Amino acid sequence: MYVYASFDYSAFLELAITDLEKRGIAREHILAVTLDKRVEERMVLDTIHRADGMSLFDGAMVLGAILMELGVIYGFILEWGPIIWGLIGLLSGAIIGFLLDYFYGRIFGNKKTKSPRNRVEAGECNNTEVVLTVYCNNSQYEMVEKVLWDNMAFGVGKLDRLRNTSGNGATSDGKETN
Amino acid sequence: MMEKKQIESIRNQRRPKGIVSELTVNLLHLKNPWITAFWSAIFPGLGFLIMGSYIKGFLLIIGATIANSMGHINQAIIYGLTGQAELAKQILDTRWLLFYAPLQIFATWSSYHLTADLNKYAILAAREGSGIIPFKIGTWDIGFLDKRNPWVAVAWSLLMPGLGHLYSHRIPTSFYLLTWWIGMSYMAHLLPAIHQTFLGNFSEAIATIRQEWFLYLVAIYPYSVYDAYVNTVEYNILFDQEQSQFLIDNYQNCKFPMPAMDNRH
Repeated sequence: MYVYASFDYSAFLELAITDLEKRGIAREHILAVTLDKRVEERMVLDTIHRADGMSLFDGAMVLGAILMELGVIYGFILEWGPIIWGLIGLLSGAIIGFLLDYFYGRIFGNKKTKSPRNRVEAGECNNTEVVLTVYCNNSQYEMVEKVLWDNMAFGVGKLDRLRNTSGNGATSDGKETN
Repeated sequence: MMEKKQIESIRNQRRPKGIVSELTVNLLHLKNPWITAFWSAIFPGLGFLIMGSYIKGFLLIIGATIANSMGHINQAIIYGLTGQAELAKQILDTRWLLFYAPLQIFATWSSYHLTADLNKYAILAAREGSGIIPFKIGTWDIGFLDKRNPWVAVAWSLLMPGLGHLYSHRIPTSFYLLTWWIGMSYMAHLLPAIHQTFLGNFSEAIATIRQEWFLYLVAIYPYSVYDAYVNTVEYNILFDQEQSQFLIDNYQNCKFPMPAMDNRH
């Protein structure tokens, strides 16, 4: 039988796999398929002169740094002093920079406009990134399932055998083998 | 069986993505060249630190700090921008002033070009799919790729520049930021000024601060937040890529019994 599980990239994934191997599942009987995330595809295809998925933070911090510098300098002659004006500069610069970048993307209709729901932040955790398939005996199923759950699998499923469903009338010609 | 694991995953490294060392993870990643140029313009050398080019970065930082403080350039900037041009002229030391300009211009220009060049190699490395060894244990420290939360790095950096980099294990930057921040805050009388500000004694706060040292802090603070965030994200991405390559190399065996149709019905 087959046990399927979804994981994100993490040390737990390797712990799960090595644990299974230690408990007698052969390495040839573990199949891992890695899923690309859309953000990474964009990264590599992106032009040399554009940053990699963090442009929102780029703009925010650039403007934040500039306004903080000005806030501190003029803070010396303003009422509240350089510390408060510096922090005001940093915060307002960051917010303005973020909004500008955000709406600049919207207004001029570049790729960001139709941001699909499956677009994720670069480096974000907690997405399915790996689908693991383990081939095992029925008697091993509970052990495999427990190992997978204990190592932070998002979901675990099993497949006993493929059924021929075309007889029920509800189905698919193309998927039938033989 | 277990030995093969490592060897297969470490590929031909003509175009490496990065290396994991005890003290830091140095890696190639796509960046906007204008961004690194901007940080080098804010303070010469910072752009190099973003790219992981430490020796050049530290040389420029030390050079610029000497030229700046001997020439009283920070003080002159404050006077100049607050409409006290006469004072600015008086305080500038012409024996040092002109050292600063070439350093700053070179740092900005060179950061731009370094980034544009490294971007090409980042793309080549990504296409080659070269592997890296994700763990390095040595005499002084243990460096490894791990998934870390970039906002935790931001929070620590806001609390004190350098701590965010300690969290993401980028020790050279962290060492520089911490020594710089502690030294410059002391020289600038930052903490007493914060104290007075929060007590509402604004005029006393302004009087306490030593302006030209204070301006050094201003460049470092947002930089540390930005760099900590970016590096944590990039390390996460590198972790993903490395693990993905490892799984593909080791767990897609041709002997895997693929599910077949059960025809007994």
